[in-house]
Amino acid sequence: MSVALRRLEVRALECRFADPPAQALTGVSLTVDAGELVAIMGESGAGKSTLLRCVNGLVPSLVPAACEGEILLDGAGVLGVPVGMLAGRVAMVFQDFEAQLFSTNVRLEVAFGPAQLGVAPYEIERRVAAALARVGLTDLVARDPRALSGGQKQRLAIASILAMAPAVILFDEAATDLDPVGRQELYATLQRLRTEGLALVAVEHEIDPVLGADRLYLMRAGAIVASGPPAVLACDVDAFLACGVRPHDLAVLARRLDVELPLAVEDAVEALRRLGVSRLLPATKDAASRRPAAADGPPILEVEHLSYRYADGPGAVHDVSVAIGAGEVIALIGRNGSGKTTLAKHLNGLLRATSGTVRLDGADVATVPLDRVAQQVGYVFQNPDDQLFAATVADEIAFGPRNFGLAGDVLTTRVEEVLAAVGLAERRDADPFLLSKGERQRLAVATVLAMAPRVLILDEPTTGLDYPQQRQMLELLVRLRARGTTIVLATHSPWVVAEYAERVLLMHAGRLVFDGPLATFVADATLLQAAAFEPPPAMRLGLAFGRVTRTVDELVAALDLPTRLR
Amino acid sequence: MALSLYIDRASPLHRRHPVAKLAAMILFFAATFLLDDPVPIAPLTVAVLVATAAAHAFPNLWRLRWIVGPVFVFTLAIWTLFYPAPAGGAAAGTAPWRFGLGMALKLETFLATGLLFLATTTVEEFAFALRSLGVPYRAGFVVTLAFRLVPVFLESALTVVDAQRCRGLDFTRGRVHQRIARYVPVIVPVFIGGLRRADRMAFALEVRGFSSGRRRTGLPRPAANAGDWLLVAVVGAAFVGYVTLWMLGTGRIVPR
Repeated sequence: MSVALRRLEVRALECRFADPPAQALTGVSLTVDAGELVAIMGESGAGKSTLLRCVNGLVPSLVPAACEGEILLDGAGVLGVPVGMLAGRVAMVFQDFEAQLFSTNVRLEVAFGPAQLGVAPYEIERRVAAALARVGLTDLVARDPRALSGGQKQRLAIASILAMAPAVILFDEAATDLDPVGRQELYATLQRLRTEGLALVAVEHEIDPVLGADRLYLMRAGAIVASGPPAVLACDVDAFLACGVRPHDLAVLARRLDVELPLAVEDAVEALRRLGVSRLLPATKDAASRRPAAADGPPILEVEHLSYRYADGPGAVHDVSVAIGAGEVIALIGRNGSGKTTLAKHLNGLLRATSGTVRLDGADVATVPLDRVAQQVGYVFQNPDDQLFAATVADEIAFGPRNFGLAGDVLTTRVEEVLAAVGLAERRDADPFLLSKGERQRLAVATVLAMAPRVLILDEPTTGLDYPQQRQMLELLVRLRARGTTIVLATHSPWVVAEYAERVLLMHAGRLVFDGPLATFVADATLLQAAAFEPPPAMRLGLAFGRVTRTVDELVAALDLPTRLR
Repeated sequence: MALSLYIDRASPLHRRHPVAKLAAMILFFAATFLLDDPVPIAPLTVAVLVATAAAHAFPNLWRLRWIVGPVFVFTLAIWTLFYPAPAGGAAAGTAPWRFGLGMALKLETFLATGLLFLATTTVEEFAFALRSLGVPYRAGFVVTLAFRLVPVFLESALTVVDAQRCRGLDFTRGRVHQRIARYVPVIVPVFIGGLRRADRMAFALEVRGFSSGRRRTGLPRPAANAGDWLLVAVVGAAFVGYVTLWMLGTGRIVPR
């Protein structure tokens, strides 16, 4: 179906943007053959997206830049060829799946691309059917794309470009906004396309999904700094950290033990057994004991038999009851559309229950004005850009407390405290829109912290951030928790849940199907399967030896090592 | 929350050819526009309501009841009060309120007809119909994209409003200029977010070949059938009838 391609080559590619002036790529070279999946990883601003956009012509045809070097499709140079001219050969799937769907039903969406290329009507019909079959969406042909899940939307985006019969598909962080099931669906689709002979290039933040790729390139500051088979390169922990990528748990473990370990958990368990490890030492401090004493006091928030139905939609939350105590760190997990956000928005009064009650310090939030509740229960939205508007970082932070009557020195002091807490003191006079994504995310937290809430709800606070930015954000939450703030974290990221949460609330189809300690949750295979939650490798390895280990450090401390390995 | 006006049903009106529906809507608008006496306008109002029921499109009218209801009441009141009363026009007495009622029915009929069209026609069909009537592809695409994006921007605006309410923003306090100033924290993020989204959509469109320079095609589309011709013929006949009334000077309270 696609035009046969043998090789995509990038040779010594240089790219410099004029406005603002910045060297985006320096001497980048890589090759991708037909039937190969190549992964690219690196910190934010490393040049990953620019590289992909040079390959498909978005740069420099839509984004002006000075480019040198060569990009060859089977030996024919395409650097500088307008994106429209390459549209039938080089396709791209973006992170934002909403912005790449334009039509009112799945069939029309898939037909859009080939129609732009002038494909004959009956051939378009054939391609639509074939493309939907390849991504497993045939049954949803008449569905409105807006009604699909995140994973289905990304598969639809893929079907839409498959119908254009490309030879190369570029995935620009296409899995970032997906829940775990969506990611699994996406990578299963990639594997199928790979076997069909397409050349695939995927920019990723996590190493696990691309361990099976043919090659991995690590980028930093516009250059490729390391490359090789993912399973080999993943063992270079220093290279990963230098490139702002979270290293594989088992690679970190191998380095700590100074042994060679395979990256598959089951194989690593066997390897450790062969090295003489037969058990893990009992926990000195189990997960339950990490629960702050204040959490056992009277709850701050009590939800009783909460149900909520959107005006002209189905019920979003059904009969949820939960109590949240002081100083807890709670992970709110579940698939996209499971009711996490709806439940969270009830906790600070943004939504009013259809039935049931939400109590804050014993008072029904339905009877308390939203601004009073918001002072106690802060809510940080997923996209920081949904709330930033002021001319400076300091003004942005001052906005909330000023609305609540703070002024003068008290307000100035509050702003300075918050700036220091989120590590933005040096950026107080900067324009919020010129901050990096990580800085904007921390600023969004700061705007809520400025109101000194006792409970902080964060909706996917690490999405779209690179590893150093994620760590900065999460360490900020640790500091807040140490000050007594209750943290409710809605997240899809298993390692964030494993390392930072003490308690898990699992939502499924609008119902709270689990509420308990992290240790209980991750030890229950049925629950994990229902939640499509795969614990990070360090935790799975610990579980294989019968103990919950949240981090590599905990795992190393718990390994009952033979003397020669200690 | 459903923000689109299209209602996916399998009614006879949904199945009509988009060009036939667009042509019928234009003729229906024109017929409604010609007269101002409620007696000849009422059958058109009834006709569009019957068609709305047949197309299962009443939910749209219900969703917009806060517009539909006030438009009727205010139009009736205002045009009754400001009846133009021309020299040689209908005698005073019932004329002002009949004129007000006629104007109210006329506006409601326009509204209901437009809603019925949007309830039974996807934006892609709308674009196809515009193209068939000679509107350039890009202009038609912009129109359809606008329809598609209105719900997206509304959703985005509602999220921003929620985010700012969580920071104590209150639109109900203060004088008018203070209230207007309070919209800045909403308008700026919506505007900036809109620009960013437009950028991403432009990239996605280009990748899908929007500027490939080739002659555009589309999925096979059935030709107009007897039902389509019947629709246009019925509405066309009504249009001719109303033009005749207009030319005869009947059906008008204020003479033309």
